[in-house]
Parts: sequence; C-alpha cells; structure tokens
Amino acid sequence: MTPDNATAPADVIIVGSGAAGGMAAWSLTKAGLRCLMLEAGRDYDPQSEVNMFAADSDAPLRGSSTPDKPFGYFDATVDGGWEIDGEPFTNTEGTDFRWWRPRMLGGRTNHWGRHVPRWGPYDFKPFSRDGLGVDWPIAYDDVAPFYDRVEKIIGVNGGPIGLENHPDSPPDCLMPPPKPRVTELLIKAAAESVGIPVRPAHTAVLTRDMPDAVAPRQACFNATPCGRGCTIGAMFQTTTSFLPQAKATGRLTIVTDAMVARVLAGISGRATGVEYVDRRTGQRHQVRARAVVLAAGTGETTRLLLNSGEPGRGLANSSGELGRNLTDSTGASFAAFVPGLADRPRYNEDGISGQHIYIPFWDYERQKRGELDFARGYHFEIGGRFGIPPMSAMPRVWGPALKQAVRHASGATVSLTLRGEMIPNKDTYCEIDPIVKDRFGIPVLRFAFRWSRHEVNQVAHGRRSAMKVFEAMKGKLLFDPMIPPEKIMTAGGEIIHELGTARMGGDPKSSVVDSYGQAWDADNLVLMDGAIFASGAHKNPTLTILALALRASERLAERFKAGAIA
Amino acid sequence: MTPSRRTTIKWMMAAAALPLARELPVARAAGAQTPPPFRAIAPWPAALPPMPPAKGYGRDPTLMEPKVTWPLTLTKAQRATVDLLGDMILPADAQSPGAGALGVGAFIDEWISAPYPNQQKDRATILGGLAWLDDQAKLLHAKPFAGLTPPQRAALLDALSVEAPAAAMAQPVAFMDRLRGLFVLGFYSLPEGKADMGYIGDQPTPGPYPGPTPEALAHLDTLLKSLKLPPVTA
Repeated sequence: MTPDNATAPADVIIVGSGAAGGMAAWSLTKAGLRCLMLEAGRDYDPQSEVNMFAADSDAPLRGSSTPDKPFGYFDATVDGGWEIDGEPFTNTEGTDFRWWRPRMLGGRTNHWGRHVPRWGPYDFKPFSRDGLGVDWPIAYDDVAPFYDRVEKIIGVNGGPIGLENHPDSPPDCLMPPPKPRVTELLIKAAAESVGIPVRPAHTAVLTRDMPDAVAPRQACFNATPCGRGCTIGAMFQTTTSFLPQAKATGRLTIVTDAMVARVLAGISGRATGVEYVDRRTGQRHQVRARAVVLAAGTGETTRLLLNSGEPGRGLANSSGELGRNLTDSTGASFAAFVPGLADRPRYNEDGISGQHIYIPFWDYERQKRGELDFARGYHFEIGGRFGIPPMSAMPRVWGPALKQAVRHASGATVSLTLRGEMIPNKDTYCEIDPIVKDRFGIPVLRFAFRWSRHEVNQVAHGRRSAMKVFEAMKGKLLFDPMIPPEKIMTAGGEIIHELGTARMGGDPKSSVVDSYGQAWDADNLVLMDGAIFASGAHKNPTLTILALALRASERLAERFKAGAIA
Repeated sequence: MTPSRRTTIKWMMAAAALPLARELPVARAAGAQTPPPFRAIAPWPAALPPMPPAKGYGRDPTLMEPKVTWPLTLTKAQRATVDLLGDMILPADAQSPGAGALGVGAFIDEWISAPYPNQQKDRATILGGLAWLDDQAKLLHAKPFAGLTPPQRAALLDALSVEAPAAAMAQPVAFMDRLRGLFVLGFYSLPEGKADMGYIGDQPTPGPYPGPTPEALAHLDTLLKSLKLPPVTA
C-alpha cells in the first residue's frame, strides 16, 4: 500500500514558512524526506497579490503608513504587522517592545530588507574578544561554506569589501553589484575623506537571471519598491523560490492558517508532533512526525516551546535559558540637506530599490585598543534619492516659491541609517504572560527590554560619525545633535531583528540547542530560526539564518539516513 | 481592548510622530520672533466634536484594487477653502497646474477623514486652522477667508509662514505647516507633480542598472571639487 502523502504522517513537521522554514523544506525534501509545513498565516501568492506598478497616488493616503499597514499601503505584509487582532502580546512595566508578526505564507521574506552581509570571525567569538556575552560553539570557518552556497542559492549581488571582520565571498558566489547613485558616490567621497570606508552592499536581489525548471527568477529590472514583493522573483522571497521548488518534489504539504500551539512530547521528552489551531475554524488538530523543525521566528518559536512540555518550565528548557538573551539591532537615522546637490541633473535613481553601497563597521582597531566606550559594531545603510523632499529641508514659504523650493530640494537630502549590535543583558527576555491568552486560548508572550550603555554609546558614536560625513559635504543637519542618544534610538524589536532566546552552545547547562539547532533535551527537535543565535552581530541576520538552517537541515537528513531518528 | 493593545496603539502613535519630532528644520533660524502684521489675533478655536466612527481599510486589503473605505467629511465650505488654499500654496505655473485644479483638496479631505490616529490628529489641526482663518479674516475684514481680496488672503498666508512666529501665532503657523506638508505630499505624488520635479523612474529598465548619466556625474565632479574632496569611482 502506498501511503497518501497528504494523510500519512510526515517525516518532518516544519513550523513556519519564512527564511528558515523555507530553507528547511527545500533542503529536506531534496534529501527525500516528506515534510508537512504549518504556517500560522494565510496562503499568499505574490503573482496575483503584489501590486508592483501602481503609483502611490492610487492608494489611500498616497500609500502612507497607517496602523493597518505600518510600512505603507502596498507593503507585502498582509494580515499581520505590529498588531494582530485577537493575538496580543504584552510588556513588563516600563518596557516598550514591538513585535512584528506577519501572518502569511513566506513570512517576513515577502517584504524584508534584503541586506545580507556575511558575519565575520569576531561575530562568532564575541566573548573571546571583549568578555561580554558568550561565544558561539562554531566559528566563521564552520559557517563559511554554507554562506558560499546560500549566496548562490538565493541570489546575492555585491562586491568585495576587504576589511577586518568583513569576509569576502569567494569568486562566483555573488552577482555583479549595481552602479552607485550620485548621492551614494558623494557619501563615499565624504566618508572616505574622514576615514570611514564605503563598500558595495550585499543584497539579495538578482542582477542576472536565475533559470530553474520550477521557479525561474528574473534579474531585477531596476524599478518598483522591493517591499511590495516581486512578481518576477528578482528579490529573494520563499514564496517565489524555496516553497514552489520544494512542492515540486511531491514531498511537501503546506497547511496555512495553522497556528501551532505546542510541541507534543513523549515520556522520554522526544517530540512526537505538534498541536495546532486552525485560525479560521478554531478547531484543534494534532499531527505526528518523526522530527519537528521549529522555524516560526524567534518569538513564536520560543513561545510555543514555553507553552509545551512541563507547565511553568516548557520543553527543551533544562538550561533555563529559553526566552533569555533576547536582542534586537539598535537603530537611529540621520539626515542632512546638501545644498551642493540642489537642482542636480535628473536621471533614473530607482536601481535595485534599496542601497547599492553602504558603510560597514570600521573602527575595530581603535576598539581593540580600548579607545571606544562601547563594545561591538554598527553599520550605516545609505539613502538619498530624487523624490518629494522632507518639509524640514525647505524654507517656510508658499506659492511659486514653494514649488521652486520643492524642485530645488528634490534629490538633495541624504541619510545614514544606523544598525548596530546589542549585547544580551539580564533585563531583556521574553516569557509567558501568566494571565493573557490569545483568541485561541494560547498563552501569549510578555517582553522585558532595555538597552545598556554599550548600545547608547554606540549610537552616540554613530551620530558623531554621521555628522563628520555630513560636514565633509557641507550638509545641513536635519536632526538635533543635542538630543541624548537614548532618545533617538528605536524601540526594542522595532528593527525586527529579534534573536537569541533559545541560544546554541557547547554546554547543555547554558544553552538550549547545539550548533545544529538540535535541542539538548529532545534529539528530534531542531530549531532553525533566529532564536538559536548566541549573539546578534550588527550585520542583518537573514543570511546567517539561512546558512545555519541549511547546515542544520543537512545534518538532520544525514541523521535520518543513518537511522538515528526513530 | 486588552491593556497590551492599548499600549501598542500608544507606541504606534509615538513611533509615527518620532521622525517628525527628530527633524530639525534647517531654515528655522533661531532669534527674534516676527510679530504678525495685525494687533488682534483670533484665539485658537475650541476643540471640535469627534468624527463619526469610520472603518479603516483593515490589515488585509485587496492590494490590486486599492480603495478608500471611509467617507469624506469636509463641509462644502471647508472644502472650498481648502481648494482655495491649495491654489495659493501650490499655484499653477509654466511647469504644472495648481493643486486645486489637480483635485488635491480631495486628498486633504481623504486624509483628515481617515480613522487613524495620525490623521485624526491632523484633522484637529486642519479643521481648527480653517476655523481660525475665518475668525481672523472676520476680525480683520469682517468677512470669512473666502470673501477676502487676494492681497488680503496673501497677507494672512504670509503671516502664517514666518520663520519665527510670535507665541500667539504658534498654533495657526503649525496649522499652515501641516497643511503645506499635506499639499506637497498630495501634489508631488501625482504624475503631474512628479513631472514637475523632473522625476525620472517607475519604468522597468532591463539589464544592468545604467547608473548616473554623464551629465549627472559631471555635476558631481564639480561639486566634489568645490568641497575639496577627491574624485570618486564606484
């Protein structure tokens, strides 16, 4: 009798369909394993739902951000965001944590930032360098081969960086980067004149076609904002790559609107399956498998482990580290009006939508000598295009003078957006709220969050650096440099880089999983998302999530093959 | 509403307000305040009644068919004043039509009628400002704003556009700042507004991104020289 793929127990249940879940499905089905993917959000088809070309003026409020669509009307995130009706989360007194939760197939990859820098040797051994936090149980050299492969699998464009702790990709990993825009070239000249390097960004946008029998993807045609999603597949998102590819193997079943409530565990503690709620009907289902992969996103993965196993303790938490060590990236934005750019010649600056070049962290030497008042680094993402100038860049005029001012200032504003590393601290964590439940009756997460002096001083350093760059181009600051740095920082969670709440390590006493994401307490339970990060370097996490998920998936497939999974 | 939901809305309002609060207008010189060209200043009107409840477009609107889901709420007279102001703030010239002619007034109405926190805050500012304009016009000329002569209206707008307003003018000036900002957003996001700015884009350009034109690069070279910065290459 041939088992029905749809009803026979799967080999592996994968919770989540974003970067990690998509990679797991792609890799595990390729290895011959039958997978059942459970996605809490609704089904989503970029081909029919992404309005790539509509003008903002076609949208309500000219496409402006609202509480319903925080990143603008046409942003790809549907049915979720900072708030989800009936699915609250809470904060401890004095905490202002934000939690971005898409509820859609493909998760955050449908609208993500696409900036995919490699982490470097220091980023995996932070404790060894400055005595703070913990080292990872793996080093850059362990991850590098997976970075090489992921860059080629998802399609990344970029160029050489050649700086300390910013490893270059081997030849043939990257597609050619787009040419820089005028604003970016000016920032490069100005920054380098004050000793701050500017390099090609690594971006998960194709600049060459990527043929594939199932999910062919086209090179970017240099138009439309990536955040809306991409019907030609130029931007990496799992809904136009991993998911159709994995489905084509015949070994992937996807169930959407399936909100996983808990992991089911046997007496031995091993995972036997999961219980989920159908978000449309409220009905509970239990499904079984030989292994369970959690890739629901740092917060949701942590929540469902805390809601599983032993009441009050959770599953896979003998270390007590589950929910602790939460980090987000720091964030702050600095902009200037540059009179020298006013009335500059017009040309098409759309490019590949985001930045083409960026400022990697450069001050490692001085930091090593103890000359900086913070540990770890940050980078600047670069902005400045033609378009509607901010009102603050124009004089308070009306009539013909205002029309003239808009023409004059369009394309004359530049920005440096800081993203920096946060060091885990004991006051920043998530836990199960003892009272509040969501509309399905599932206990919700409660967050506690604070920045330390390291992050505050880092942002202050960033502001001084940005001012030096703006000064070199005779820019007029569009921000008040006297505001205390802690007042210009984004709130915890706002950069949507939450990491670390089920960290990996070499010792079961101080970590939740091993370097393959395998839970110390349950050897058929594998975590693959940002929860397993042992630290959260300033470099955007998704490339590393993908590399670790590929590494973990191949390990899991090997163990299946070796008969290690019952 | 659970406490967390209330808290979250509060954060979102704060977050939405932050980018503005963090900006420091370059052109606002610190120094002496400019007194308005009239002695009597109408008080800022009392708070308006809240808008009748309306529904937003929700978290999952059909993006292929964008729709405004709330009714417009400006009265005929308010809308007429907004259109009048639109053609003063962004008048027709050789490069583009005026904001009134392009119907940007309808966008202002859509904005202040939207059931979202930022828009509701703007609603109070804009409707308060429209009422204040009429009060001030009556105080000075015994007529509502729409009944004034063009030079009288212009004098009022000038008084609302000074860099350092007197304290009694702070709220009326903030009203005009916001209205001007909304007209700029509404106007320059239209195809006619983009054309006015000389905006080039929104067109697929297959193949490698061409980068700046020779003319754009020549302008940059001149700028770098004037800043005493070395030439730069990609």
